[in-house]
Amino acid sequence: MSPLKLMALACIMSASAASLAAYSDPLPPDLTYRPLPTQPLSSVRANDEAQKPKVMKRQQDLLNKRYDLADKPIPDASMSGGQKKVQDGVRVRLPDGVTWDTLASMSPTEIRDKNLLPEGFRPLPHVKQATGGQVFPQKAIDEIGKQENRDLKRFDVDFDLPDHLTPEFPPPIFLTTHPELGDVSRGELLTIKNFYEYMNGIITPVQMEGLRLLLTPFPQEEFNQTEDRKVAQQSMGVACLDCHANFHTNGAFHLTPDVRPQAARFRLDSTSLRGMFNQQIHGSKRSLRSIEDFTEFEQRTAYFNGDHVSATRKGVNLPDRPNQVAMMAQMQNIIDFSPAPKLDLMGKLDPAKASEQELAGERVFMGKGRCGECHLPQTSFLDNNMHDLKLERFYNIGYTANDQVAIADGPIKTFTLRGIKDSPPYLHDGRLLTLADTVEFFNLVLGVKLSQDERDSLVAYMLTL
Amino acid sequence: MRDFLTTVLVTLVSTPALAQMGNPAGFAPDTRMEEPGVPAAHQTNNQDRLFAQLAAVGGLAEVDLAKLAATKATDSRVKEFAQAMVDDHSDANSRLKALADAAKIPLPDKLDADHKAMRQKLDAAEGQAFDVAYIRSQIIAHQKTAQLLAWEIGSGEDAQLQQYSAATLPAVMKHLRMAQDIASALTGQASREIVAAKHN
Ligand code: HEC
Ligand code: HEC
Repeated sequence: MSPLKLMALACIMSASAASLAAYSDPLPPDLTYRPLPTQPLSSVRANDEAQKPKVMKRQQDLLNKRYDLADKPIPDASMSGGQKKVQDGVRVRLPDGVTWDTLASMSPTEIRDKNLLPEGFRPLPHVKQATGGQVFPQKAIDEIGKQENRDLKRFDVDFDLPDHLTPEFPPPIFLTTHPELGDVSRGELLTIKNFYEYMNGIITPVQMEGLRLLLTPFPQEEFNQTEDRKVAQQSMGVACLDCHANFHTNGAFHLTPDVRPQAARFRLDSTSLRGMFNQQIHGSKRSLRSIEDFTEFEQRTAYFNGDHVSATRKGVNLPDRPNQVAMMAQMQNIIDFSPAPKLDLMGKLDPAKASEQELAGERVFMGKGRCGECHLPQTSFLDNNMHDLKLERFYNIGYTANDQVAIADGPIKTFTLRGIKDSPPYLHDGRLLTLADTVEFFNLVLGVKLSQDERDSLVAYMLTL
Repeated sequence: MRDFLTTVLVTLVSTPALAQMGNPAGFAPDTRMEEPGVPAAHQTNNQDRLFAQLAAVGGLAEVDLAKLAATKATDSRVKEFAQAMVDDHSDANSRLKALADAAKIPLPDKLDADHKAMRQKLDAAEGQAFDVAYIRSQIIAHQKTAQLLAWEIGSGEDAQLQQYSAATLPAVMKHLRMAQDIASALTGQASREIVAAKHN
């Protein structure tokens, strides 16, 4: 190379080095990573407690504006334990001047431009978005408190939905290994204090050890010993089955681990662990490929914060993959769906057992309603795929509701519909309260224009699953 | 070939503890053998003796609770179920007693703490709540009994106690299903079969 060319090259290189240094992004330091608390717990708590009534009122106002929260059960539809009725009717409130039918006849763009998408169809904020974290329903707090003397009550927020809109508690447990026994929960909540007595003789040593680990509390984000906690006393932490009560769900909610910044994280309603043996992808967004992966990972990031760094300060539990994780997974893999006696071996209704309306609902499900294209009956109403329902076709994103910035949901895993009457509220964030709400939602999202009879029959059909 | 078949058939028919081929590792150390591997009649191991205790106290409780339910229940299906429990379990209890006597196993004649607590709960419940509480207690009791019988079939040594268990188990399963169906009719709880074929 000639000296001139060499000089020119050197100039270019130093110039680009200088520009790299000069232009490095001036981003805030705590967008991805969680900031350390700057206040002592005592003053955080005093402020949190002072804010709490207003926080809860703001959330109640939002819920009342979006939904009819009344207790209106379907008289002859119970959840699988027979302890709670399924709630009836569409609960999402319509904007003034439209009906469900006029709305369904409009194009997505028209609905978006006129701002007519019901607010109840949009992302549901956490009670306190800025803090987030796991929030347990009062019944779970009371029962764990009674059995284990462990406090799951937060001083900054309470659970926001009324009890009748959540799953029955404690829910029944059905085992793939003992279908003949039916519900083996004895009507009680499984805890670290009683599990051995209740399961002795029914499960194997490996499953028993897995169960023990699933019921053992470990320090987690809001429940630990540090200033990060939101519980009065230093806490023993949280156990897996605190949310997945009896391997089902008690409706406890959290924020997704998968999104930053904090304001844009969406709410997550605890999923049931029933029938997971048939599911190939786990988590609404993470698409983790095995129960083992999910189980191992949940412990590592202090539950749903997607943050291994912050978790480490509280003392992480790293279950040993080939031993402990495998056992926890094996226990989870014997949890069956609730019985659906009207379904045949391929997940289709048996005409000898189902009513006319239920059969009509199945025809809509498989035909005009298009539900069966994603919820495949013969594979437990799953397709093991994620789908982008593109709800943002219907509304302008970027607005803020109770401090949550609404962004598009993006692809979400298809949830199973087996035992669906047992697990309100619906969708990944629990934004829909009843099965009738889900029918209106998909009627609009899919643009299938179902008649009232067809919609009613879909609800009747889903109650048989 | 023909000789071989005959031998197999003869052996099968002449083995006294037909179909009971226990694991010798679990036999009591002082077991007298009728022939190698086959304990003499009424030879028991620890499992047999514990089984007899637990099955007997469970049987006592069944009859006790069923007598209560036969008078206290309001629903006719619950009443009928309770009466069936009185009959079936009284019968099973006396057969168990005869086998235990033959094997010189003393049996309890009072309810244990577990069943007393259950009895107290049921004494306190009234009306529809009683029906549901009783039938739920029966689901749990029959689930436990099914486990206990299967355990004796697999781990016991006394062939007659094992045969008793094998003969009783199908009835216990049937009772369990009956109780599940009644609970389903009373509360709407899910069951593997439909109780009323069609309802709308
Ligand atoms: C704070 C309540 C909570 C706790 C505690 C909790 N989970 Fe979950 N679990 C959830 C929620 C919410 C989801 C849905 C996550 C998502 O959509 O990404 C979930 C999802 C899962 C899934 C995937 C289910 C599916 O259908 O994809 C598995 C497996 C699971 N949890 C196991 C565990 C285990 C094991 C533990 C303990 C290590 C645990 N969970 C602790 C709330 C909880
Ligand atoms: C394009 C695929 C697709 C089609 C078609 C579809 N679904 Fe879904 N379904 C999904 C996905 C994905 C979710 C999860 C969405 C979420 O949580 O945001 C879901 C969730 C649900 C839920 C809530 C499940 C839960 O556990 O919360 C119900 C109920 C449901 N669908 C019913 C229906 C009905 C009824 C139809 C037909 C009218 C239908 N779906 C059509 C993909 C589909």
